[in-house]
Amino acid sequence: MSAWFLLLAAHAALADTPAPAPPPAEAELPPLVVEPTLLEFVQAPYPAAATAERREGSVRLLIEIDEAGLVTRVEVLEAAGFGFDEAAVEAARAFRFTPAQDATGPVPVAIEFAYGFVLDSARVEGATPDAAAAAEPGEAPITLEGTIVEMGTRRPMADHLLRIDSLNLETQTDAEGRWSFRGLPPGSYTVRAVHPGYDTLDKTVEVVAGSVTSARLWVRNQSYADPGILGSYRRETDDVTRRTISMDEARRIPGTFGDPIRVVQNLPGAARAPLGSGLLIIRGSNPEDSRVYVDGMFIPYIYHLGGFESVINPDLVQSVDYLPGGYGPHYGRSTGGTVDATTRTSFPERNELRWSTDALDSGGVWLGSLGKEHEHGVGVAARASYIDLLLPAFLADDGFSVVPRWWDFQAKYQYQGKRPDKFSVLAFGFRDSLLVSTPTGYAQGTDADTQGDIATEYSTYRVGATWDRAWGNHWSARVAPSFGTDEAALDVGNSFRLIQTKYTAEVRGEVRYEHDEHLAVVSGIDAIFGWADFAIELPFNPASFAEIDPLAEREPYTLSGTATGWGPDPWLRATWKPLADPDKLALNGGVRLMYVILPDENEVLAADPRFSFRWQAAEKTALKGSTGLYHQPPQPFQSYRPDDKPAAVGAEQSWSSSVGVEQGIGPAVKVELEGFYKDLTDLIVSNSNFGSLDDSYFVNTGVGRAYGMELIVRHEPVGNFFGWVSYTLSRSERQDRPGEDWYLFDYDQTHILTAVGSYKLPYDLSIGAKVQYTTGNPSTPYSLGVYDVDQDTYSAFPTGAYNSERLPPFWAVSARFDKLFTFKAWQLLLYVDLINALHGENPEFEQYNYDYTEKTYFKGLPFIPSPGFEAKVEF
Amino acid sequence: MLIIQILSACDSASMAESWQIDRLRVLAVAATPAEPRPGDVVTFDALILSPAKALGGSAWFVCSAEASSDYGCEIDPALLGSGDPEDMDLEALQAAGFIGYLPAIPPAWIVPDDFLDALPEADRLEGTFAMTYITAFPELTEGQELAEDDVEIAYKRVPVSLATTPNHNPVVAGWKVDGFEIEDGATVRLDRGQAYTVECVLAEDAVETYTFRNESGEEEERTEEPYLSWYLQEGTFDQTNTLHPFDSVVYFAPDDPTLDAQAIWVVVRDRRGGMGWATLNLTFSESEP
Repeated sequence: MSAWFLLLAAHAALADTPAPAPPPAEAELPPLVVEPTLLEFVQAPYPAAATAERREGSVRLLIEIDEAGLVTRVEVLEAAGFGFDEAAVEAARAFRFTPAQDATGPVPVAIEFAYGFVLDSARVEGATPDAAAAAEPGEAPITLEGTIVEMGTRRPMADHLLRIDSLNLETQTDAEGRWSFRGLPPGSYTVRAVHPGYDTLDKTVEVVAGSVTSARLWVRNQSYADPGILGSYRRETDDVTRRTISMDEARRIPGTFGDPIRVVQNLPGAARAPLGSGLLIIRGSNPEDSRVYVDGMFIPYIYHLGGFESVINPDLVQSVDYLPGGYGPHYGRSTGGTVDATTRTSFPERNELRWSTDALDSGGVWLGSLGKEHEHGVGVAARASYIDLLLPAFLADDGFSVVPRWWDFQAKYQYQGKRPDKFSVLAFGFRDSLLVSTPTGYAQGTDADTQGDIATEYSTYRVGATWDRAWGNHWSARVAPSFGTDEAALDVGNSFRLIQTKYTAEVRGEVRYEHDEHLAVVSGIDAIFGWADFAIELPFNPASFAEIDPLAEREPYTLSGTATGWGPDPWLRATWKPLADPDKLALNGGVRLMYVILPDENEVLAADPRFSFRWQAAEKTALKGSTGLYHQPPQPFQSYRPDDKPAAVGAEQSWSSSVGVEQGIGPAVKVELEGFYKDLTDLIVSNSNFGSLDDSYFVNTGVGRAYGMELIVRHEPVGNFFGWVSYTLSRSERQDRPGEDWYLFDYDQTHILTAVGSYKLPYDLSIGAKVQYTTGNPSTPYSLGVYDVDQDTYSAFPTGAYNSERLPPFWAVSARFDKLFTFKAWQLLLYVDLINALHGENPEFEQYNYDYTEKTYFKGLPFIPSPGFEAKVEF
Repeated sequence: MLIIQILSACDSASMAESWQIDRLRVLAVAATPAEPRPGDVVTFDALILSPAKALGGSAWFVCSAEASSDYGCEIDPALLGSGDPEDMDLEALQAAGFIGYLPAIPPAWIVPDDFLDALPEADRLEGTFAMTYITAFPELTEGQELAEDDVEIAYKRVPVSLATTPNHNPVVAGWKVDGFEIEDGATVRLDRGQAYTVECVLAEDAVETYTFRNESGEEEERTEEPYLSWYLQEGTFDQTNTLHPFDSVVYFAPDDPTLDAQAIWVVVRDRRGGMGWATLNLTFSESEP
């Protein structure tokens, strides 16, 4: 009898770190881009006690692996007794892995590993595989040979164990997946292939005298899905609240269309966006107060038309960091939150071709690497919508037409060789357009200038490079220049036309000095330079009498020109870990200078000191907090004055503070509770005293406050389940001018509850559900208005203060079902998203009738079944 | 969002449409002359419908553009008292801009001679406007209280200028139903439950050409672009407004056998303050199989 192993689970072990190593802060860490793989398995002797009682068992281990792939510590998570535990621990200590890597390089990780012991009655007691192999007739001719290939990917399987139990023979595959047996007598044999993480395969083959029998064995991986992050013991300490979701989680959350960037809307602090538009409403901030980056490049839009899908193909997204507040000085020019999407930094050695299609669009991606050592990683993706072809089936043939279209592309190069320099280039772009046409003779309102088609389009193109280099043990640097254009156009009828083309050049650079593990200083620059060509055509001058008198004669108004602006924004950050154990306490301090210059129009200068701390109070308990200033420059149009003189509009300011606690519960559950307060000043509002061309349209008289509490209880993707419950209790208020009443922020939502869960079932099935409940947005009550006879419209009387009432609450239950089919050469994932499966009522806006005597609700989220598929082939 | 909007269930169809006359409504107000000069006497007429209760009356005020707001003239409702002219303080009313009370006092306003004096000389050709403010009441029986929703308040601008080509109110010459000309004042018999194309025929001079002096001081010849608003009590239209030269709507006659007589009203606005209207009287019969 001998022992052999079974790997029951070796992925996604996000267990807590036992002493002496500090517990991990998984959710704060950048995700792994290369997972550790087992290079050297060590077979444990079958314990004598277990042999005597003919016991089998499995020991669940937590294995800590260092940056070199060596095992530093093994802990028994689930004991099996009978000597199995000691044997498994001893054997696992000698395992060797390939190092795990995140974007910065090799990192220590922990994985969960099930070491199995199974009695083998066919084996002679006391024999070992090596002994059995030694008994093979080594010089005899090969009579049976073949290869082992992974189903779905056709990847040759190295180090796979093969056995012929009837002859007590076994062998292993070589690096190319080849195997052979020599000197087998003619007859029928059952070849068994065994490997951790793969289904055991039995295949019967016939050996014929005088010939070599060949067989290709297809083995099935037990977990094909991208495991995503494994978790890491390293901890980013400068951003107090950084929540990272693995790609596998992101793809399985109902209602997100498999888009990882949409997942942030299910996390604490993010309010529900109206009509599923994808607007980022974070901690009581306006959507335009939060910024979205792709590999550090700021982009104006992150979603395609309708807000269903982001503009970056999910297969090229490596991670999405969501920072609702308290972030360090390396992010700026915003008073709200930040979403930073990072594209892949690691590409597979073998080529992968993926194709996905859902109800809205279809696209493909190629991932692979070039070079002798696969040192040049490449990914190319493209996608286009076809919803415009489907819409006519849902619309009446009455002369109206709605034609939404979009496409996007991405191309990424990543140097992934052994040189110390890391270099990458990302180019991407997208274009969206919408055309709404009405039948001839149909009146769109009564304004002669708004008749005709409505068309809008916007597009963005970016190309950016990143270069990383380290010198010695102390110094490292990063430079990331980028360049791009943004175009936007709007046509309403024949008289309204807005066109803008913006060119943006950005340079992000930083130099990092790491004195030791207790002190690090980073100095950086976040420079941006932009210029824009714009043209505006209106049926009348917005500053003319025609704006207030509908009977006044209109004169077409055009405005065109070029605007420029730039800002260097240097920043400095220091991290000090004063205790002997550097992971116990981290203090972060930094400052960012925001300087925005719009020549001849405006200059804005502000200094943003920021501070944060994280104290690991106990093994599974951490306290954290932050406070700091955040400034946001005026939008370019807010700096415009009709008389072309410099505008007196300054930056908006937020003094943002937070304090929170993290508590680990068991190996998979983590609770985070965080309170925040934001004091908003110098908010830009319209100038109520605007009366002549000598005035600014906007002034900084607004103030506001947002405060609340965020809670997330998260079950990490351990085993077959992951999920979280997210709850935000908040209030956000504004006052536009001194002495005026305070009012609720337009998207203020007192309660925001989201529960997400997904479970992997047998047969590559998975099922997920999401439950959402949010307080309705504020609304203003109106009653019967006064009739404007000249315009045939009613001016409503507000019967209450602005935003003094609320819409009914929103709730929705969504579900998702996935089924993965694995064929020999490819894989196919079929899924269906059932959005708002229980047909919840979802009022988005109040809709009054013509004279404000009746009211109903515009319901925004109907039941939407959204099927789709993803196909993947490796070659 | 777009698809959601398309698939979304919206209950707006259950709400009253603007073309549906189911309560006291002021539909149109015409000043004559449509674009007076200082010193002119301006008289007013209005299309006011009150299907549920008989029309009691309407009070008329005028104020300057500077004294008006998004809700017309700032008139203290207490000035109108119970709506009974005998209860009103005429002096206080006149001080507030009172110009008439229908049916007892036809509204009339004499444009002050100095009405344009505040404007630069060059701007007087285009002029400015006065705001007319109308409050319409239903007839109240003895002891009946006036409810807030019973009152219709409307306002209308009256352009005042020294224009060389002053505006006139557009005139509706007649109707066409499914292409057949209908004489003004005639009653049309329609089949219940059937759809008809109803066209408003404008008088030949309804669409005026006029001179406009632009910001550069140059004179431009412009042509009016009127639009039509359609109203009824029973039945439906395919659209609420039409823009000239599309002067017709599809009218879906009611199939209620208890309805015998109905009417369609159309109001023409020339966008310069000029306004005209017409009524098409209808009777219904059962449609032939």
